Amino acid sequence: SSSYGGQSRNAILVSHRQKGNPLLKHIRNVRWAYADIVCDYLLGQSSCALYLSLRYHLLHTDYLYYRIRELQKNFKLRVVLCHVDVEDVVKPLLEVTKTALLHDCTLLCAWSLEECGRYLETIKVYENKPADIIQGQMDTDYLSRLSHALTTVRHVNKTDVVTLGSTFGSLSHIMDASMEDLARCPGIGERKVKRLYDTFHEPFKRVI
Amino acid sequence: MLQFHEQILTDLLQEDSNGGLVILSSGLSLPSLISSLLLLHSPSQGTLLLLSPSLPLKSHILHLLHQSDPSSQPPAEITADLPAPSRHSLYSSGGAFFVTPRILIVDLLMSRVPTSNVAGIIIPHAHSLTETSTEAFIVRVLKSTNRDAYVRAFSDKPHSMVSGFAKAERIMKCLYMKKLHLWPRFQVYVCEELEKDPPVVVDIRVPLSKHMAGIQKAIIEVMDACLKEMRKTNKVDVEDLTVENGLFKSFDEIVRRQLDPIWHTLGKKTKQLVSDLKTLRKLLDYLVRYDAVSFLKYLDTLRVSESFRSVWIFAESSYKIFELAKKRVYRFVRSDGANVSGNSKHTTRKKRKLNGEESNTESATAGSSSTNSSGSILLEEVLEEAPKWKVLRDILVEIEEEKKKEVLFRKEHLLEGEEPDGGIVLVACKDERSCMHLEDCITKSPQKVMREEWEKYLLSKVELREAQTRYKKKPKDPKGYGILDGVVPVTPAQNAEASGINKLEHEALLAAASEIRNLAKRDSSQDNLEHNVTEGSAKGKKQRSGKGRGNSKNSPNRNDTSQKNDNPSDPGSVGDGPTDEFNQETTSNNCEEVLQQNNRVADETGPKTNNGSPPLHFYALESDQPIIDIMKPSVIIVYHPDMTFVRQIEVYKASNPSKKLKVYFLFYEESTEVQKFEASIRRENGAFESLIRQKSLMMIPVDQDGHCVGLNPSLEPQASSLQNSITRKAGGRKEVEKQMQIIVDMREFMSSLPNVLHQKGMRIIPVTLEVGDYILSPLICVERKSIQDLFSSFASGRLYHQVETMVRYYRIPVLLIEFSQDRSFSFQSSSDIGDDVTPTNIMSKLSLLVLHFPRLRIIWSRSLHATAEIFFTLKANQDEPDETKAMRVGVPSEEGVVENDVRAENYNTSAVEFLRRLPGVTDSNYRAIMDGCKSLAELALLPVEQLAELMGGQKAAHTLRDFLDAKYPTLL
Repeated sequence: SSSYGGQSRNAILVSHRQKGNPLLKHIRNVRWAYADIVCDYLLGQSSCALYLSLRYHLLHTDYLYYRIRELQKNFKLRVVLCHVDVEDVVKPLLEVTKTALLHDCTLLCAWSLEECGRYLETIKVYENKPADIIQGQMDTDYLSRLSHALTTVRHVNKTDVVTLGSTFGSLSHIMDASMEDLARCPGIGERKVKRLYDTFHEPFKRVI
Repeated sequence: MLQFHEQILTDLLQEDSNGGLVILSSGLSLPSLISSLLLLHSPSQGTLLLLSPSLPLKSHILHLLHQSDPSSQPPAEITADLPAPSRHSLYSSGGAFFVTPRILIVDLLMSRVPTSNVAGIIIPHAHSLTETSTEAFIVRVLKSTNRDAYVRAFSDKPHSMVSGFAKAERIMKCLYMKKLHLWPRFQVYVCEELEKDPPVVVDIRVPLSKHMAGIQKAIIEVMDACLKEMRKTNKVDVEDLTVENGLFKSFDEIVRRQLDPIWHTLGKKTKQLVSDLKTLRKLLDYLVRYDAVSFLKYLDTLRVSESFRSVWIFAESSYKIFELAKKRVYRFVRSDGANVSGNSKHTTRKKRKLNGEESNTESATAGSSSTNSSGSILLEEVLEEAPKWKVLRDILVEIEEEKKKEVLFRKEHLLEGEEPDGGIVLVACKDERSCMHLEDCITKSPQKVMREEWEKYLLSKVELREAQTRYKKKPKDPKGYGILDGVVPVTPAQNAEASGINKLEHEALLAAASEIRNLAKRDSSQDNLEHNVTEGSAKGKKQRSGKGRGNSKNSPNRNDTSQKNDNPSDPGSVGDGPTDEFNQETTSNNCEEVLQQNNRVADETGPKTNNGSPPLHFYALESDQPIIDIMKPSVIIVYHPDMTFVRQIEVYKASNPSKKLKVYFLFYEESTEVQKFEASIRRENGAFESLIRQKSLMMIPVDQDGHCVGLNPSLEPQASSLQNSITRKAGGRKEVEKQMQIIVDMREFMSSLPNVLHQKGMRIIPVTLEVGDYILSPLICVERKSIQDLFSSFASGRLYHQVETMVRYYRIPVLLIEFSQDRSFSFQSSSDIGDDVTPTNIMSKLSLLVLHFPRLRIIWSRSLHATAEIFFTLKANQDEPDETKAMRVGVPSEEGVVENDVRAENYNTSAVEFLRRLPGVTDSNYRAIMDGCKSLAELALLPVEQLAELMGGQKAAHTLRDFLDAKYPTLL
C-alpha cells in the first residue's frame, strides 16, 4: 500500500466504489483522489477505513463481513466508519459492533456525513501527530495548573479557585487552611469546605 | 414522639412482609421515626439493615437513640475495613446496622450475607432511587432468597418524589412494596397536633436598603432577559420557565430534564444561558446573605473568572448590579473643579485624612498627568450594613428587657419556682459563614466587621489587579470591557474620558490598599496607639459622614426622613443630614414601629449591657444538626427563613408543650427571600396533591401469596434462579445452561450497569481491578465511559493512561462509550463540528487515540440495556474470565495487596488525583510520595530535600516545592 508515491502521499485515496457517495463533498481540508484500492479510504501508510451506512447494513447484513475479510492483514489500523442514519439503532449497531470487534476493526460512529468526512480528514491530518493533547498536558501557566489541581475536588469551580488563591496567597497555604478559614471564603459552602478539607487532611491511604 | 408519629409507625408495621413507602413533609422529624423503628427492633426478628443515611440524618438518629435510652449500644456500622468473616457474623447476629449500599450489594453477590437471617431493610432516602440504582439491586437480590424480609422506605422530600412519570409507583415496584403512606403537613392529625399550642410568632419585615433593592431588581431583570433568550431557542417548554421557579435549585433540574435529551446538540450560547441562570440565582441568594463587601468581592471574582464566557455580564442591567454593589461599599469623589459638589464633599467627608491624603493625591496626580482633563479622585468608604443586622440587635435588646422584666416580676410576686428554662436564644441562619459574621456583629460592632472585611477586600484587590495585568493582557479586545471597571460602551469620546477616570479610581483603590498594608506592617508597640487614634477618629467621622447617604439606605423603615434625602444621586442636596443623636433616635423609633407588639420604650443608649444578657447561640441551617432538641431554646430568631426549620420548631414545640417559646422571623420585605419561602410551601403542597392523585390510580401487581411481584416479573424468576441455586423452582424448569460470568470492578457499583447485567441473568463477580472496569473473558477487558466521563478523562489524560495499560495486558482492549437512554444519541451538535480540524474537538481527540492504539476496540452503546445486550453477544464464544488472574493484572507490587481488599475504600481518591495533578508528580513517583507522607497537608510542609528523596530527583522536587509556595498569582 505504500506504492502510491508523489503527491498522493498527502492525499486520501478513495476507492472507485465510493464514487457518488455524498460524503466526498465533505472532505475539504485534505486533498483526495480516486485509486484502485481494496479498502474504501486509504488514510495513511497502514491505516484504512471502510464506510458503512446503517441503513445499508439493514438491507445487506453480510456486506461488512465480506469487506473486512477482503482487507486481509495489510493494515495496522482498520476503521469501520459507521454512519448512524436510522432511528432505531440498537439492533443494527449491535451487529456492526460485534462484527467489527471480533474482526479486529475499530468502530467509529458518526451522525452526519459532515462528521464522517471530518473523521477521515482528522485521521489523515494527524497521521504523524504525537499524543500529547490527550495525555493531559495542559497549559503551563500557574493559574491553569492551580485550577487543574484544585478542580479535582468535586464541585470546586474556577471562581472558587480564584477566591482560594487570592485569599490564601499560595497553594501550600490553601492546603494548610483550617475549616473555618475555608468557610470564610465567599461562595464556598459547607460541603465544599468539607470536601476540600478532607482532601487535604485525610491520609492518602485510609488506615485499616 | 408525637401522636401522628405513632400513627405513622402503626400504619407501617401493619404491612409485615411487604413494607411500605412513607412520604412526609420535610421537617416533620424523619429521624425520630427511624430511631423509633430501630428501638422497636428486637434481635429475635433477625438483622435489621439501615442503608446509609446522610451524615446529619445519621447523627440525628444516634442522638435520639441515645436520648431515649442512654445505656443501649448504638447500631454499629458495617464498613469495608472489617474482614469478611466478621462482617458475616454481624449480618447473622440479629442486631441493627448501618451499611452502605455498595458494601451490601458486594457482600450479597459474594454470598456473605445469610439472607434468611435478615429481618428487613430501611431505606431513608427513597426520593433518590431509580429502577437501576443499587438499592433496587439489593432489594431484588434479597427478595430472591428471602421473600419475607420487609423493606421500609422513607422520604421527606415530596417534591422530588413527583419528578418524572409516576416516580413513586416505579420506586415502589422496584422495592417490592405495596403501600404508600402520605403524611403532608396539612394532614388532619398533623395539623391538629402542631397547631394545638403553637409558639408565639413575631413576624418582622425588614425593608431592603435602596441599593439592595436596586441590585435585586437588576438581577431579576437579567434573569428575565436570560429566560427570554432561552425561550427563543425553542428548545424548552416555556411553561416552567418563570422567574419564580428560577429562584429554586430545582429549576436547574427542570431545565436539565428538558434539555438533557438534546444537550449535546445545543449550541454554546444555550448552555451558557443555563449556567448563567444558575450564577444569577446564587447572586440573589448571596445578596441577602452576604455583607456588602463580601458581595462585591464575590462579584469581582465572578468577573475575573467568567467575564469571557458569560452572556449576562455584558447586559445593561448587569452594569447596574456591579455599579450598585460598588456603591454599597465605596465611592469616588473628585477633588478638582470638574465636580463642584464633589469638591466640598471631600473636605468634609473624607475619612482617611492623615496618611491617606498624601498617598491618595500623590497617586492621583500621577495618574492625572496622563489624562489631564480629570483631576484627582478620592476614595470614600460607604460600607453599608445589612439592614437585618440592626434589627437583630434591637431584638436582642428587647429580649433582654423582657427577661429583666420577668425577673423583676418574679421578685415582686415572690415567685420562687424554677428558673425560666435555660433561656437560650437561638439565632438560625443559613450557613456557617453568616453565623460567624453575625456573631462578630453582636460581640464587636457591625462597623468593625465591615471595616475588617473592607481591609481584607482592599488587600486582595491589589493581588487581583496584579493577576489581571499579568494574565489578561491578551484578551484586551473589545470583549474585555470589565463592567466593574466602569467602562460602559458609550461614544468613543466619552469612553476615553471614562477610562481615564476609571484608571484614577483604581489608583485610589490601590492607594487605600497599600495604606492598609503599611498600617498592618508597621510595628505594633508605639504605632499602635496612633493607629487606634486614627481609627477612632475615622470611625467618628464615618458615622457623621455616613449620615447623608447612609441614612437613606441603612436604617430600616424610614418614613419621615426619606423625603429630605430622596435625591441621593446629587450628593450636594444631602449635605444637611440629621445629627448623630437624631439619627440614633429615629432608628430606634423605627424599630419600635417594627416591633409594635411590645409597648416597650426604646432604650436611648442603643448598645446593650452585658450583665444578664441571655446566652446566645448561632446555628447554621446547612449543618443540619438536631440543635433545637439539644439547646432547648426559649427564643428562636430565624434570621434566614427556611421551611424545614419552621416545621422543626413546630414539632419541637408540640413535643414540649410546657415550654415557652417565642419565634422571631426576619424577612426582607418585598425580597426574593419571601417569595422563595412562600413558594417552597406552595411547591410542597402541590407535590402532595399530585402524590395523592397518583396514589388513587396506582396499580401494584401482587402474586397469590400477597407478595409484590416487582418491576418486570418476566425477568424475575430467571434472575432469582441464577442468584443462588434455589431448588424451590416449580414446574420442572430446564436446567439453565452454564451461567455467564462478568468480573466487575468494585468502583463500578456506583453505576447501574452491574444491576442491569444481573437483571439479564449474568453472574456478577465483584473484585478490585487495577486495569479496566469489566472483564468479559480472558481476552476482553472493557473500560466504561459515560459521555461526560469521556470528555473529562480525555482532558485529564486519564483515558490515555487507562487505554495504555489495557493494551498492555489484554488482547482485546475495549473502550465502551455509553450514552444515556434519555439523552440524545450523538456526540455533538452540528455547529460544534466547525470548518477545520481543531485539536480541541472531541472527534480529533478520539481519532488521535485510535491512531495511537490501533488495537483498541470501541463500543458505542445507546443505553445501559444496550450495553448489557452487547456484553451478552460478545461473550457468546469466549471463555469465562478468571477473577484471581484479573485482579492481579497491573497491580504494581505483589505484596501489600490483600485479596478481598476493597481498594477504593482504602484510598482518599480525590487526594490521590489531586496529588497526581501537581507539577513534578509523575506516574512513577506518586506512589512513593504517598508512602512517604501521610496527607496533602503534610506534603505542603515538607522541605525540598525530603521531597527530593521521595520523588527521586532534585528537579522534580524543586518544581513541586516552587509550585506549592508560588505567590498567587505569579508565573512559575
